[in-house]
Amino acid sequence: MTRILEAKGVSKWYGQVIAVNKVSFSVGPGVTGLLGPNGAGKSTLMKLITGQLRPSQGELTLWGERIWNNYPLFYRMGFCPEQDSFYDRMTGAEFVAALLRLHGFSETEVNQRTDSALQQVNLVEARDKKIGAYSKGMRQRIKLAQAVAHDPELLVLDEPLAGMDPVARKETIRFIRILGKEGKCVIVSSHILHEIEAMTSNILLIHNGQVLAEGDVHDIRDLIDKHPHHIYIRCSEPRRAAELLVAFPDVVSIRFHPESNALTLESRNPDEFYSRLPGLLLRHEIALEEITSPDDNLQAVFHYLVK
Amino acid sequence: MTGRFRIAKGWRDMKTIAYLTLDTLFWSKKTIFVVFISLVVLGMAVLGRLVLSYNWIRAPFTPAQVFSTLMSTAVIHFMVVFVTLFYGTALISEEVEGKTLTYLFLRPIPKPAIMVGKYLALVWTSVLLVLPTVVFSYLILYLRDDLRPFWEDAGVLGKDIGIVFLALLAYGAFFSLLGAWLKHPILAGLIYAFGWEGIVSYLPGFTRKLTVTHYIQSIFPHENAPASLAMLFGERTQAPEAVSTLLLMTALFLAAACLVLREKEYVLEQ
Amino acid sequence: MPIYDLSYRQWSGVWTSHPYRWWVITRQGINILGRKRRFLVLMILSALPFLVRCVMLYLSTVLGRIPLLTINAKFFEDFLSQQMFFVFIIAIYAGAGLIANDLKANALQIYFSKPITRRDYVMGKLGVLFFFLALPTLVPGMLLFFLAVLFKSDASFLEQNYWVPASVLGYSLLIIATYSVVMLAVSSLSKSSRFAGIVFAALFFFSRIFYQILSVVLRSTRVAWVSLGNNLTQIGDYLFQVSPQYQSPLWLSAMVLGLLMLGSVWLLHHRVQAVEVVK
Repeated sequence: MTRILEAKGVSKWYGQVIAVNKVSFSVGPGVTGLLGPNGAGKSTLMKLITGQLRPSQGELTLWGERIWNNYPLFYRMGFCPEQDSFYDRMTGAEFVAALLRLHGFSETEVNQRTDSALQQVNLVEARDKKIGAYSKGMRQRIKLAQAVAHDPELLVLDEPLAGMDPVARKETIRFIRILGKEGKCVIVSSHILHEIEAMTSNILLIHNGQVLAEGDVHDIRDLIDKHPHHIYIRCSEPRRAAELLVAFPDVVSIRFHPESNALTLESRNPDEFYSRLPGLLLRHEIALEEITSPDDNLQAVFHYLVK
Repeated sequence: MTGRFRIAKGWRDMKTIAYLTLDTLFWSKKTIFVVFISLVVLGMAVLGRLVLSYNWIRAPFTPAQVFSTLMSTAVIHFMVVFVTLFYGTALISEEVEGKTLTYLFLRPIPKPAIMVGKYLALVWTSVLLVLPTVVFSYLILYLRDDLRPFWEDAGVLGKDIGIVFLALLAYGAFFSLLGAWLKHPILAGLIYAFGWEGIVSYLPGFTRKLTVTHYIQSIFPHENAPASLAMLFGERTQAPEAVSTLLLMTALFLAAACLVLREKEYVLEQ
Repeated sequence: MPIYDLSYRQWSGVWTSHPYRWWVITRQGINILGRKRRFLVLMILSALPFLVRCVMLYLSTVLGRIPLLTINAKFFEDFLSQQMFFVFIIAIYAGAGLIANDLKANALQIYFSKPITRRDYVMGKLGVLFFFLALPTLVPGMLLFFLAVLFKSDASFLEQNYWVPASVLGYSLLIIATYSVVMLAVSSLSKSSRFAGIVFAALFFFSRIFYQILSVVLRSTRVAWVSLGNNLTQIGDYLFQVSPQYQSPLWLSAMVLGLLMLGSVWLLHHRVQAVEVVK
């Protein structure tokens, strides 16, 4: 893998507080999801990657060069910040064009690139509207437009889907995937697992300022699956269902919730469990009302990995 | 990258930043406030003119006296300081407060070019807002049937314009430095301009030279202005030395502001 | 239960009404500022003139009558006038962001979704300024008088100056009220505390400079009322029974300050709203 971004023992602390603690990882072309709950250190890591902060310790490089105070790197990098802030008096087109001028493009090229970027994020119709009058979703998209307008090789997107409606969210996810397929390096942060999964299978899990796992999301899931998996089932006859389920060797525990006609079990092989459950319940005419997995969320993933 | 190309690119970057800053700096509430102050100063010039024309008071005085009072009190010691404090401290801190600094820092421009570009916008805005007040005050007070005083004191007006320009440069650079460096630049600026400068001007020895105002007062062409009172307590600096010191101060403050911007990590609060 | 029943519901319990809701805001503001190290340094610095005056009191008692160390009503007025520099700085530090920061963070909506009125909110914010401005004025002013009485071995000082505490109280309250109300009104004008701080400072400095120029042009101190600081001095001179520094009439100074405060209250009434209606 071509290494574009490389971190070696990078730490960042604000006074007594450690935000990023000795992280080492590398990122190559394609989309990489930076995943972690709020306060995990994602934004600090993003700021370190984009040269807004200087590492307190360790080495962080892009294309082999240090990032802090190395402005020529920004010809090749685009950044979509998390904060919802703009020069509100400007229109969307003025905003993108003004920032493009700072790249040294000619006026003709600035205009062309502005049009193209606004088209990419579906903001052509609102191009001459003041940003102050944009909706939250439109503001997210104009941030994305300024990040891609100069056609960078590396895109760093901090929570780019926040505040978008489902349609815009879907479009943006598709857009990010296309960028990845084109061979660009896209680092996108989120605290929502399924958002990241929709964009990429390559993730970097961060928690308490440390990298917990790095690589393919399926490998991480496999790792998780080695631990017993919680499954919550609400059905017409929970005790009978328990009697049938306990016979399987992968089921290691069952707990009842009499108040809600439900049970929670732990399975060591959730994939197999899910595949045989419908047939079993059908055969014994037990009506299934609800099935959920309390573990199918980011917190549980972290819980497993930290354990 | 050749040296020549670098200079050309640096100049272009600064110009782009200056244009971008001008837009946000000039079209703001601050400008309305400064224009209001300019109008009040002009109003005072009109009042002076009326008093002169209609002899409202017994003790006679000349247009030169009113103009020098306006210059020393309202323009140099108030307008110049406030306009540069207002705009200078806003250059970086407004981008930090508005969390827009990220957009500038993530462009292929050296941070010092951002600082200098913004400073150029500050100088342009403050010159545009302060110098017309000086010129119009002069016109209001001097334009009359007898144009001899008008032409006789035109040199003083020229000097005043030059001094105001130098003062805008020096104070502008100083307050830009405070804005890039401190979290509360306004208080520090007020304490400097109206505390430190006020006290130190009356202190003996070298301490007086640790202010911008000392060098401005040294080249101030009005002998009867209240500001010159401070000069009784100490020597003036010679004009060439004062001018070059003001220019040197400007360069040093600006260089320090560039250094601060380059090395400081700005944490934009979420 | 239908889903809409789970949404926001009106409080159906008993409303507890008490007149001190504003105190919650004041207390919070005092706590926040009290934790700032720089602000504490500023407050400590503002106490230094008080210590100097204490030494002066002591020396005047020990050394007897010395022209520069005469302890009379003017001694207390001078102290409060000197403290106006700190009052000015503290008002900007503590007050510039009091409403401006709430406007910036859209926090007024949150405040007014609680059972407090606009008056409670303004009173609460004013309380913060009153508290911090009383510390360098009213509190040391009163203490100074108390010390002056204690240092004297007979009752003659108290007999001659029994009315001074009322003057200290009146002048301190006037200073505190003027700075607090005006600062708060200016803070409500903008989302930027920087803007508020500078406009407030400009009001005081510019009015003084305006007076300086007018006094030169008109060759008279009758126009002293155009300066906010001069108006305070005029009323201070009256309260401490000192001959006035300016020729402008006392009633005019009182009227200017009164109008300024009324204007500030009007501004606060219009600017402090849960939702800003943009026309």
